[in-house]
Amino acid sequence: MKSKNLVKFVSAAVGVVVAMFFLVLLVAEPDNDTVARSPLLGQPAPAISSRTIDGESFVLERRKGSWVVLNFFNSTCVPCINEHPLLVDFAEAESSKPDGAELYTIINDDSSESIRDFFARNGGDWSKVTDDNGAIAVAFGVARVPETWIIDPNGVVRLRITGELTEGLLGRQVEMLREDFTS
Amino acid sequence: MFLVAGVLLVFGANRGGGPKTQQERIDLLTSNLACPTCSGESVFESRAVAAEAIRSEVARQVAAGLRTDDEIMGYIEQRFGGQVLLVPRADGLDALVWALPVAVAVFSLFVLFSAFAKWRGNRPPSPSNDDELIVARALDERES
Amino acid sequence: MLASTGVSGTLGRAFLLVGFIGAVFGAFAAFTGARRSDQQVIRLIPRFAVLIFAASVGAFATMEYAMITRDFSLAYVQKVGSWSTPALYNFAAVWSALEGSILMWVLVLAGYTLAVAYWVRKRMHDPIASWAMGVMFVVSAFFFLVSFFPANPFAAGAPGVLDGPGPNPLLQNHVLVMFHPPILYLGYVGVTVPFAFAIAALITGRVDEGWLVATRRWSLFAWGFLTFGIALGSWWSYEVLGWSGVWAWDPVENASLLPWITGTAYIHSVLVQERRGMLRVWNISLLVATFSLTILGTFLTRSGVLNSVHAFSESGIGSWFLAMFAVVLVVSIGLIGWRGDRLRSPGVIDSPLSREAAFLANNVLFAVFAFVVLLGTVFPLIVEALQNRQIAVGAPFFDRLSTPIGLALLTLMAIAPVLPWRKATTETLRDRLFWPAWCGLGALILSLVFGAYGLAPLLTFALGGVSAGAALRQVSLATRRQGWRGLVGRANGGMIVHLGVILIAVALGASNSFSKSQELSLVQDVEAQFAGHTFELRDVVEVRDDRSISVKALVLVDGRKIYAPAITKFTRIGMNVGTPSVRTSLTADVYLTLEPPVRQDANEARIKVFIKPMIVWLWIGTALMAVGTVLAVFPGRRRKPTEPTSAPVEVGRS
Repeated sequence: MKSKNLVKFVSAAVGVVVAMFFLVLLVAEPDNDTVARSPLLGQPAPAISSRTIDGESFVLERRKGSWVVLNFFNSTCVPCINEHPLLVDFAEAESSKPDGAELYTIINDDSSESIRDFFARNGGDWSKVTDDNGAIAVAFGVARVPETWIIDPNGVVRLRITGELTEGLLGRQVEMLREDFTS
Repeated sequence: MFLVAGVLLVFGANRGGGPKTQQERIDLLTSNLACPTCSGESVFESRAVAAEAIRSEVARQVAAGLRTDDEIMGYIEQRFGGQVLLVPRADGLDALVWALPVAVAVFSLFVLFSAFAKWRGNRPPSPSNDDELIVARALDERES
Repeated sequence: MLASTGVSGTLGRAFLLVGFIGAVFGAFAAFTGARRSDQQVIRLIPRFAVLIFAASVGAFATMEYAMITRDFSLAYVQKVGSWSTPALYNFAAVWSALEGSILMWVLVLAGYTLAVAYWVRKRMHDPIASWAMGVMFVVSAFFFLVSFFPANPFAAGAPGVLDGPGPNPLLQNHVLVMFHPPILYLGYVGVTVPFAFAIAALITGRVDEGWLVATRRWSLFAWGFLTFGIALGSWWSYEVLGWSGVWAWDPVENASLLPWITGTAYIHSVLVQERRGMLRVWNISLLVATFSLTILGTFLTRSGVLNSVHAFSESGIGSWFLAMFAVVLVVSIGLIGWRGDRLRSPGVIDSPLSREAAFLANNVLFAVFAFVVLLGTVFPLIVEALQNRQIAVGAPFFDRLSTPIGLALLTLMAIAPVLPWRKATTETLRDRLFWPAWCGLGALILSLVFGAYGLAPLLTFALGGVSAGAALRQVSLATRRQGWRGLVGRANGGMIVHLGVILIAVALGASNSFSKSQELSLVQDVEAQFAGHTFELRDVVEVRDDRSISVKALVLVDGRKIYAPAITKFTRIGMNVGTPSVRTSLTADVYLTLEPPVRQDANEARIKVFIKPMIVWLWIGTALMAVGTVLAVFPGRRRKPTEPTSAPVEVGRS
């Protein structure tokens, strides 16, 4: 290779590499966290046991036989506050069904007092479960709130919803899973 | 002197710091786990809530002493997915991140060496034996 | 729109528009003047430079005014302004988020453009000056445009807002927020200047050594500020973030490090160009790379494709910077391909044992280092593009690969200062390295005595000792010959910078390998012990003000002084920030953090204690680097070309 053309050759080679790099950057998308994958889907739910803010014990395994919805919650997180009325509606709708789903709040990095205050002001009388040291969050792989998990009567994890719930979403999903389950 | 230095180095290199304490084990494990809400930061560094929770879990498992380091990493990976591992594995596409730097280093050293070889080739050649004979004969003729 | 943003918004946008138009016309004048050597047009260039600088000052001042007066008609003030933020942090709040930081970029860039215009004012007849000014104007125009459209700080906010949350709490509890970003920007933005001259050199096909030497000072200036800015960032990370480390290989940190790496390679290899006229195309490529990396870095960190501690991730601005990155590279690589041949010199490097060769090796190592950092930072994007899955590449990757590179660089630092130019024999080398080698051995023995172990740290200490010996040897030879002037000038200043780097390398080696930590549950008035220190909890107190609630644990360390690690909840934002408390000494820092959960008036608290050896030497090393850079900028005694470079020179004192 003549040394005269070395510069041209090297520039062309560099240009090609840079062009490929540019394509990679072009394709890159900012992170959006609505993807609700989890290695736990279709697996038995992690065995967790803890206490509610009223001091009663809560053992997930003992809830087998009913549909269980876990909502990871923090009283200062804005999307959690926004979706709260939807959860209240959901709980009401489910309480009138014979095989209604049981809703539990898993407290994420918040004190029992703040939770009590929040629910006193905004309604919702289902059990709120404490999570010391975040063990339950780690067991489910929950990093951000709000997250909502649906577990079927056999204790198998069926669905994970990350981020704020939309109107009627939770009810519809539970209904679809119920149909799948009984059919 | 190099011998002395070499001996000292070998001695010092093998002198370990003693067995790892529990805290050291926790710190090592958490340094290799990525905080799930702040990609790039390790669980050891991050002050985020999720990182605190994972740190507590790792501390709990290390204290319980039932699992090995790999098993604890596997436990966390099972819950949070592959992206919680901070150090890419050495298989598949991920291996490229280790292989490419080595390739680039080898390639640039090769370029450097060939450049030096070329430059040495460009130097004016030193006189050969025949040349020296010619010069010696010419000098003799001049003197006589 | 006028009514909803008030005077500030309209005025600010007007300033930006004037700046943009000024930059466009300035570029036009510069390019036309350069091509046609039209003196009348060229005379306009400084005027446009003044114009865009005035416009940028006006825009920035308007933003500060709006922030200080809490003008909540602007969306940006709504985002980061607040009545309860103290004045100092409120002033700094302007650059605490995306739009304001771009505005600061505009200000610094316009300042540099004006400074360059002033500096070349007597040489405007030379086309290189006009082409370079043209490039500066083009880049300025880009940033004015970005500040006018996607990153508009003067956009109207929602009506009726009377207060805001203030800047990110991490940016409200240390005064470094006033210094780190501006200083870093002085470096980061400053690399535009040597880049502009590199492009000018390519376009004119000339690399006059005169221009080269002159722009070298600009490069050193920018590099110095970049170094200092990065070091300040590390200090901040240590003092504020609470994880006891100084460098996390975070994407934003890497974005600032990459141009530093190529910049350091440049300031070494440009010396080869000066002496031997070689490596011209390589040096121009380095300058192009350094500048492109600043644009790429801004894209990576502001576009949201990579998350980080620093990220102001917004979409929209990403595509602007990606486009600019593409344009810069297409133009630069095109120019290099077209003109590069003209600039090549037929020189050779005679011997692998020479200072030129050492600088070449230095450049190879830095190039590999830059590749490693860049690859690690963007690899998650590559994997996602090709296989649509998420991975993370974190500190362990970078640490593992940068250790051998760092050790190789330390070795070079030990040998290169004693290598003469052109050629050396092994005897010369052995003679000159005699005392440095003993320093290295001494350092090794000393470190073993202090209990060091492990191959990498020990090599670091040993090689550090040899390099320090080599650097000190140069400085002592120079001062013996020339008195105080032996400390000044780029070779000697460079040696002092090397000493700073060695201190930093040794300190990093020590603290990365030999730090210890432990969580302690303290009960009030009961002493706990760790690593030879005692800790006693005296009290847990709560401090409230109108923006935060702070819970502090008062811990008596070694019976002498009270340190107060804290957890502060910023009530307006709902974010918790942990503040460490550090006891510094020459040998090791005792670093305390308070672990949640903790309650005020409880008689117990959980703290984490880190023992970090030799951290303070990082800051001493940084100071040395700063001093050395300043000394290097001063003109030293220019060596006469007829003087031999190897033998000592007898000079009468004058």
